[in-house]
Amino acid sequence: MNGNNALIVVEDLHKYFGTLHVLKGISTEIDQGEVVVVIGPSGSGKSTFLRCLNLLEMPSKGRVIFEGADITDKKSDVDLHRQKMGMVFQQFNLFPHLTVRQNITISPIRVKNIPADAASARAEELLKRVGLYDKIDEYPNMLSGGQKQRVAIVRALAMDPDVMLFDEPTSALDPEMIGEVLDVMKALAKDGMTMVVVTHEMGFAKEVGSRVLFMDEGIIAEEAKPGDFFTNPRNPRAKEFLSKVLY
Amino acid sequence: MPLNFNFLTKYFTMFIEGAGITILLAAAAVFFGVFLGLFLSLMRLSNIKPFYILYGLKDSKYFGWLSRAANFNPVKFIAVTYIEVIRGTPLLLQILLAYAVLPPLDGVEFIAGVAALSLNSAAYVAEIMRSGIQAVEIGQTEAARSLGMKYGMAMRRIIIPQAIKNILPALGNEFVVVIKESSIVYVLGNVHELMFQTKIVTSTQFLTIEPLLIAGLLYFIITFTTSKLLGKAERRMRRSERK
Repeated sequence: MNGNNALIVVEDLHKYFGTLHVLKGISTEIDQGEVVVVIGPSGSGKSTFLRCLNLLEMPSKGRVIFEGADITDKKSDVDLHRQKMGMVFQQFNLFPHLTVRQNITISPIRVKNIPADAASARAEELLKRVGLYDKIDEYPNMLSGGQKQRVAIVRALAMDPDVMLFDEPTSALDPEMIGEVLDVMKALAKDGMTMVVVTHEMGFAKEVGSRVLFMDEGIIAEEAKPGDFFTNPRNPRAKEFLSKVLY
Repeated sequence: MPLNFNFLTKYFTMFIEGAGITILLAAAAVFFGVFLGLFLSLMRLSNIKPFYILYGLKDSKYFGWLSRAANFNPVKFIAVTYIEVIRGTPLLLQILLAYAVLPPLDGVEFIAGVAALSLNSAAYVAEIMRSGIQAVEIGQTEAARSLGMKYGMAMRRIIIPQAIKNILPALGNEFVVVIKESSIVYVLGNVHELMFQTKIVTSTQFLTIEPLLIAGLLYFIITFTTSKLLGKAERRMRRSERK
């Protein structure tokens, strides 16, 4: 890894929930254009780690440096940095009282002060790319799970982020809808988007991941190229985990 | 006992005038009550801890006691105290007190009535709003914040619109309660709302039952219309949920 290329640097990250020690010192770097796939058993802290990257969870200790700025510093404007870090949630979290178009344009218009017609045009362009242009004036509850998640991805992309964070984006989906969401994510990766993806989709990790972080009990137990990790895991917990999820 | 409604030919306009003042009184009280109530609910949900710096002493042997001070939120404390005191004392007392503390100017009775009703209603509205805001999934706030919205904008654009939709039935109920409770203002006299007018008719016409029946009918028409209108507004706001 080339330090000059690092988009996000994580230094000795710890997180406590009360007395529960969830993250026990995570250090890593995420480079421009990388697709980092975070996997591990449930309760290993992968979602908490991801949520610490844009400070949806405030780290108890340690630093997150994004584009050269320490965003864990009290004086840094986290709202400004979050504009550059798109996030996609397991439960989609679309705004139910707004149409698809409004969901996508509200932040560009209200936060970045982009003119409404320009934001709308961008929403149309992005929706066409994920094949949902015909849903632009629907409310979210009219969409299927896979469609909702594609809209959620578009909503994050509309802010022109420098990195996209995915928190188990396909875990709440019916099996037949997982593919359509993964296809959008693969296309994004191919376009060179920097991505951090917490997922159970091993196929996705193998195919588009540039690096795998295997987390266990609050630490990164193994860090490797997907090819190496899936064929020859070194960590015994990783071996056990893979034997359970790959069949 | 036959009922005699002959007084209506002469006094019907007095009832209508009273109904008009009642609507005005209740509308003003609801208007201020909702704003103040929203403000109170946000105070109650705030996370302001001016003494949090005391956590620096967490290794001291007095920390058990200090931790309470460190977590003390004066803004929330004020809101909770206000809500509890208002809900724990009679509205009649609050109206008389508001009248007593205001300067004895011309028409002060109406102002005292609106003030007491709004301040009272605000405590109930605050609790309704708080439950409505807390019922919106935390994921909505997280999604809004992850898109770069500040707390205030996330509240205003994302959380409160959804909360209002959730609490509309409870809020409508509170409006109806305010309309009915506005009748207590008649004790101040000089506010020609429906109950005051009714008392005039009962005493000048030596009738006990009939004017009360007319007043009851008018109150019912006002509250029933209000619920129907709110029901309509509710259905319109639920457009985004139709299947």
